[in-house]
Amino acid sequence: MKRRYGLLAMSAATVFLLSVSAWADGDPARGRARAQMCEGCHGIADYRTAYPEVYAVPKIGGQEAAYIVKALQDYKTGARKHPSMRGIAATLTDQDMADLAAYYAGEARKQ
Amino acid sequence: MPPITPAKRESSDHMETKQTALPSNFALAFALCASLVCTTNALASEDAGKKKADEVCAACHGPGGNKPITPETPRLAGQQYDYLVQALNDYRMGVRNNAVMSAMAKPLTKKEIGELAGYFSRQQGLTTKR
Repeated sequence: MKRRYGLLAMSAATVFLLSVSAWADGDPARGRARAQMCEGCHGIADYRTAYPEVYAVPKIGGQEAAYIVKALQDYKTGARKHPSMRGIAATLTDQDMADLAAYYAGEARKQ
Repeated sequence: MPPITPAKRESSDHMETKQTALPSNFALAFALCASLVCTTNALASEDAGKKKADEVCAACHGPGGNKPITPETPRLAGQQYDYLVQALNDYRMGVRNNAVMSAMAKPLTKKEIGELAGYFSRQQGLTTKR
C-alpha cells in the first residue's frame, strides 16, 4: 500500500516537472526572429523614451529570463503601465514571451 | 667535500633575487599607487550608493546587483541610471507595485535613489543587445 503511494507520488512529480519545463522552454532562435519589435528601442544604446516620461529605456541584454517574462506579463495585464510596452506585450503569446526572454537572457554581448 | 656555509649560500641567493626582483618591485609599487589614486576618486562618489546597496539591495539582487537570488528578481548591474531612478520612484508612488520593492523604495530619499542608481549603473552587467 505504502509503496503504491510512493510510486504514485513519484509519477505525479515527474509529470509535473515535465509539464513545467515544457512550459518554461523558450527558444532563443525564435526569440531572435521576434526581437525586431524590441530592437527599435532596446537595441539602441542610451535610447530614451519620450512618452509619458523621458528616461533611458532599460538594458535587457543579460537580464534574467523569468524577470523578462514577468515584466511582459505585467505589461499585458496592465499591472505595469508604460503605453508602448503595453501595446507590444498585448500582441505576445506566452510562448513568444518565453522565446524573447531566452534570447535576451542568453550570452550577453559586451557593447 | 666541504659543506657550503650558510652565509655564502644566503648571500648568493640574495644577490640573485635582488637582481631580478628590483624592476618588478618598482612596477608593483607604481601600479599600486596608480590604482590607489584612481580608486579613491571613484570611491568617494560611489561610497554612499554602494553602502546603501550592500545594506538593502544585495540581499535579493546580489552583490553589485549582479546575482539575483530568484529568477524573477532583475539584474541591476549596468542598468541605465535614469531607468533605475524611474523604477524606484514608480515603486515609491505606487505606479509600480511589488510587495517587497514598494516597501523597500518607500523610505528612500531623492538623494539616496540617485546614489543607488549611480552605483548600479556603474557596475558591469546588463548590455544593449543588438
